[in-house]
Amino acid sequence: MISGKYLLRRLGYSGASFFVCITITFFLLHLMPGDYITNYLLSLSNTIPQATVDQFRHQFGLDLPITDQYILYIVNILHGQWGYSYAYGQPVFSMITEKLSWSLIIVVPATVLGILIGIIIGAWSGWKSGGKKDLALFNIMIVIRAIPEFWWAIMAGLVFSFYLRWFPLGGFSSISVLSSGLSIPDLLYHAILPIALMTFFIATGNYYVMRNSMIAVIGEDYITTARAKGLDERSILWRHALKNALLPMVTITTFQCAAIIMGNVFIETVFSWPGIGFLTTEALNNRDLPLLEGIFLLDSLMTICAMLLADIFSSIIDPRIRMGNDE
Amino acid sequence: MVLIHIADLKVVFSTRSEKIRAVDTVDLTINEGETLGLIGESGCGKTVMGMAMMGLLPVNAGISGIIQYSGQDLVTAPEPVMQQIRGRDLAMISQNSANTLNPVMKIGDQIAEPLLVHRLYSADEAKNEVIRLLGALGFEDPVQASGRYPHEFSGGMRERVLIALALICNPRVIIADEPTSGLDAQVKIQILHLIKEKVTGNRTLFLITHDLGTASFLCTRLAVMYAGEIVETGPTKDVLSQPFHPYTQGLLASLPSAGLHTIPGVSPSPSSLPVGCRFSERCTAALKRCRNEHPPMKEIGGTRQVRCFLYA
Amino acid sequence: MSRRAILWVGIVVLFIYIVIAIAAPLIAPQGPNAITGKPLQPPDNNHPFGTNQVGQDIFSQLVFGTRITLLYGFFAAFLAVVISTSVGIVIGYYGGIIDEIVCRVIDVVMPIPMFVLLIVLTTFFSPGVVQVSLLMGLLSSIQGIRVMRSQVLAVARTNFVEGARAIGASDFRIMSRHILPNVSSLVMVKFVSSSQQLLLMGVGLSFIGMWDTTTVDWGTMIQNAYSQGGMALGLWWWILPPGIAVIGISVALGMIGYSFEEKFNPRVAVNRL
Repeated sequence: MISGKYLLRRLGYSGASFFVCITITFFLLHLMPGDYITNYLLSLSNTIPQATVDQFRHQFGLDLPITDQYILYIVNILHGQWGYSYAYGQPVFSMITEKLSWSLIIVVPATVLGILIGIIIGAWSGWKSGGKKDLALFNIMIVIRAIPEFWWAIMAGLVFSFYLRWFPLGGFSSISVLSSGLSIPDLLYHAILPIALMTFFIATGNYYVMRNSMIAVIGEDYITTARAKGLDERSILWRHALKNALLPMVTITTFQCAAIIMGNVFIETVFSWPGIGFLTTEALNNRDLPLLEGIFLLDSLMTICAMLLADIFSSIIDPRIRMGNDE
Repeated sequence: MVLIHIADLKVVFSTRSEKIRAVDTVDLTINEGETLGLIGESGCGKTVMGMAMMGLLPVNAGISGIIQYSGQDLVTAPEPVMQQIRGRDLAMISQNSANTLNPVMKIGDQIAEPLLVHRLYSADEAKNEVIRLLGALGFEDPVQASGRYPHEFSGGMRERVLIALALICNPRVIIADEPTSGLDAQVKIQILHLIKEKVTGNRTLFLITHDLGTASFLCTRLAVMYAGEIVETGPTKDVLSQPFHPYTQGLLASLPSAGLHTIPGVSPSPSSLPVGCRFSERCTAALKRCRNEHPPMKEIGGTRQVRCFLYA
Repeated sequence: MSRRAILWVGIVVLFIYIVIAIAAPLIAPQGPNAITGKPLQPPDNNHPFGTNQVGQDIFSQLVFGTRITLLYGFFAAFLAVVISTSVGIVIGYYGGIIDEIVCRVIDVVMPIPMFVLLIVLTTFFSPGVVQVSLLMGLLSSIQGIRVMRSQVLAVARTNFVEGARAIGASDFRIMSRHILPNVSSLVMVKFVSSSQQLLLMGVGLSFIGMWDTTTVDWGTMIQNAYSQGGMALGLWWWILPPGIAVIGISVALGMIGYSFEEKFNPRVAVNRL
């Protein structure tokens, strides 16, 4: 199926990419004034005896030569030891994994729905391209995408939560939680607006790409050949156009699924949803370098894996590139 | 017996800046059982003719006139009727380019499609029919071939697939658009022989080509096209041995065997056609009236026609 | 609306923004940080858009914010396009080992996510507008190099380049006089779309708190309004103006890009009929 050599090469590149990311974070961490551990300790208390600082530095290997530290750092990263947050004092890795599931609650449904809706509407629009409905829709989509995501979120909040009072203004639970504990329906109630907004935005992106793909496919010769055989429009759409138009979507979809883990910075921040996106904003406001670097490493890992998987999926689905020849 | 009667056909493409008169008043008849060759250089409108007959012109094309086939006018026929006719009565061997076949569909499925669409066979019977046809067209292992994808085949084999696509429903008329373009000399000869054996015969073939060699090999009758109109018609042997129209003469003189003489000048742009005879600017025998009056088609001797004042 | 009309509307709007940015001190002489009124005043004669929670005039902030927002949008896009075009032309023209090396480097660097990296880097460096624009430009140029390169390859292999070489033209001359003009259309399109993209990204980053507290741009205005309860209290004059300002320029840039797209992509034009 796929040539082993090709796969190995892609894995090599992926490894190199992650390696570069780790190197970047390492250098940034170590170029900060003072050093990592001293800063962390100082965030705990202003007056710490030098001996304690030295002991901690020794524990964390900060008195070793830089190359040894580098290797130690890499080993730590691979073992899940991603340092400690300046602001919270907790291990970065566990903070991230804790917030992960919260992000998933809104991002998974939004991504799935957004991809489906975007592809369906985009395919329809591309199929009818040039027609009045398509053009109207296309122009609307362009305007939607020109408006920043957080603005949509704020506007939605204003309209639906403030003026209409249909949904809560933010957070993930109501006050009643204090007495009756966390309840699923309440949680979902709070999640609706964030999920809806994310779906909305994800759908527009997919719409655009799918529409372009469909338009490109329609202009191809094999569509004319299919018409010459006497196929009606519906058969042409389903049997010839769609499969070819969906090919580029594989890559895009893989990326979006990988991005799921990262949550969504804007939506989570506006609605105070305690996921990784929200964590990112907090970390930024606190200038919490280790935490931000942890988030960065996670994002890199996901993106790199996504690229790798997208390559693999593409070659599985498109019979033209099964041979494993790149470019 | 006249099978297809084309009268007064005009195809005009409207772009934002200009109107392109690709086919400008064409009258042509195609008789049952004959192989009619439409010859002309690139851009003279011959591919547009083929597309017009199949009803496959793009949205910005304006078509007027009559294409009469078996009691039906193909120009005004509604789309469902055209879909019935395409593939089953009237099939096309499209020009062979990189993407003429669907790249993600096995060729066996692509060839079987017309059979299933026109409900001629069940799925299993269709499969067998495809294999039989592939074998007849020169595929050594038709079963294996039908499970493969277009990019796995060479140009010549893909051309055979396109021929199979057209033949599969056993249509009455086949339109072949440049069936040997882009093929190596050896492969070209094979394909020509294949077409002669398998495609002609009882069928009516409308061959569109710029290659005089191909036309002389396959066609019983020729029509020469220049700048959107027909300038000469007649039996192949007669036209090639005794060409009437100066353009036809020029074409024959430009063959390697005749000395590679070029015709001076260039053909007129379809968006700004000259008044009078369209070939007059390049014609060595042009009379004064040729530049101002547009010559009508003239019958000569019952089998031939020519559009030229030299024969008026 | 015809494509031409769309293009001109976009250009006019863009022009207005640029004029406002340049003439800011004339339009709003108090400056963005001056406290000129009571907190949370609705719009009146002195304050066309009211005041924020500290008493600063929102209109002045909006006008001065134009400068910063346009700066990082256009500066970053300019940088990105200059870098990706130069690198793309050089490696596309010379090919060979330099092409190999650069392409492999790009293969490794491309998956690295730009948005979060920007956040990390600005935490590390001091987050001044110019520095951030530089970083944005640099990082986003990487994506563009590939695209430029393939366009350059298409041009460089044509006959007229061979011809220029044959008459002894120097490499630099060929690259600047022959190749560059032929990719200029792509460069224009990229510049416009990058401007829009980076402007939005910049405003987004500023919304989540990237700048220090003294910088006032539309993103910080929105953030300020939001976090101080503008959304919760329904104080529309606080939240709406900066948002509409962002939307205005973003849509204008989008319109310009849209009309360019048709000029340079003929297939789009045919389908429109």
